[in-house]
Amino acid sequence: MKSISLYSDNGSWLVKLHPFSKMFYLVAAILIPLISGRLFMFVITILVSICMLGSARMLKKALPLIAFSFTIILTIFLIQGIFYKDNDSLLLSLGPVNFYREGLLYSAHIGFNILNMLLSFSILVLSTSPSELVEELEKKGFSPKFGYIINSVFQIVPEMMGTMHTISDAQRSRGMETEGKLMTRIKAFLPLISPVVMSALTSTRERAIALEVRGFGSKVKKTYLYSHPYSTADQTMKWVSILCLLAVIILRATGIL
Amino acid sequence: MGKLFKTNFSTAVIVLIPACIGINYIGKLFAQVLKLPLWLDCIGTCIGAILGGPIIGGICGAANNLIYGFTTGDNITLVYALTSLFIGVSVGVMARLGFMESFPKAMITACVGGLAAVIVSTPLNIIYWGGQTGNVWGDAVFAATQASNLPVWLGSLLDELVVDVPDKLITGVIVYLIVSKLPEKLTSLYDANAVVESLD
Repeated sequence: MKSISLYSDNGSWLVKLHPFSKMFYLVAAILIPLISGRLFMFVITILVSICMLGSARMLKKALPLIAFSFTIILTIFLIQGIFYKDNDSLLLSLGPVNFYREGLLYSAHIGFNILNMLLSFSILVLSTSPSELVEELEKKGFSPKFGYIINSVFQIVPEMMGTMHTISDAQRSRGMETEGKLMTRIKAFLPLISPVVMSALTSTRERAIALEVRGFGSKVKKTYLYSHPYSTADQTMKWVSILCLLAVIILRATGIL
Repeated sequence: MGKLFKTNFSTAVIVLIPACIGINYIGKLFAQVLKLPLWLDCIGTCIGAILGGPIIGGICGAANNLIYGFTTGDNITLVYALTSLFIGVSVGVMARLGFMESFPKAMITACVGGLAAVIVSTPLNIIYWGGQTGNVWGDAVFAATQASNLPVWLGSLLDELVVDVPDKLITGVIVYLIVSKLPEKLTSLYDANAVVESLD
């Protein structure tokens, strides 16, 4: 069964880091350029994220995550470059179409912000196992019931995808059309999805009974199987992120940036 | 009001939430496989909201976007957690008010869900994307409004309206057909207003 999580253990330093230190970096990398409000700050955080991904040999896996956003960034450049409300100074004209400086700068801000968010998130997503993240959160007082919800999504989705393939095959073998005109495809949606949904809902009953039997609802404090102590690298990453964020806030507040 | 938001946090309801999140994912996947120009990614949220009430609907919606955002790298969905949350809550409230009993009433619920999505998404679209949605039809509307010098928020609102309301209407049809066929043995598990009668 194919997992929906993109995490894979390639033994690099990013995987070995504590999930929380990666989260500190994530928050800092997203907030610093937004607080500073400068375009070059986006470039800096984007480059830092790319270097980190590269050194952990994950850049190749991050590419498909970023690639899908390129089409929307492109349309933002087109629409805002031509129609932005404060468009004033003409930058270049291609035939009948005029691109303006203000619109392009505005779309550069949006584009860099998206790229920056995608890259810093891919650091967390590609190098952290969801169950480890949930376990660390639970140790910090996160509700175990919500922890279960998160963990079980990763079990249920591959299971449902298996059911989905079975049902698609079964309906096709009965002669149901899944290709062709829009109306045909809309009509195919219901016979495909309803058996998957029905089976998923009816199986929740059994799942609930099985969990109850194993003491899921008990109020006793739980113990954990794994421990992940903070290393020096974790401390460095955490404090560098916090200090950089504070520095930018102070510089911004005093008006230097 | 107390009854409207009453929620039962039993194990059965906790188990319902991941199932609904899975249903959202499968709906989106089927829409992609069949190349439909719709998202259909909140079927599970609506089912959760109808079965478990507004609070469970809200949790389903928000958890859906947060989980996929944090783990599959699709973190654009992260900012729309707020939208999903409000879809769940509004559909849950409508269902508790009895707007899920017949097909026309279910369509009203779907419209309310769609409008909730439009109202919450529009500011998010303006903040993150400069007003666009990424859907071809919606963005064509947006470009047309911007070309005729209408304000950004109006263009963005129309952009979102063109996409979201038809999407939620079809979701509503599917959800109604599925929920009305569920066995009572199952739905009674989630009923927060159920009373246990004892014989002694």
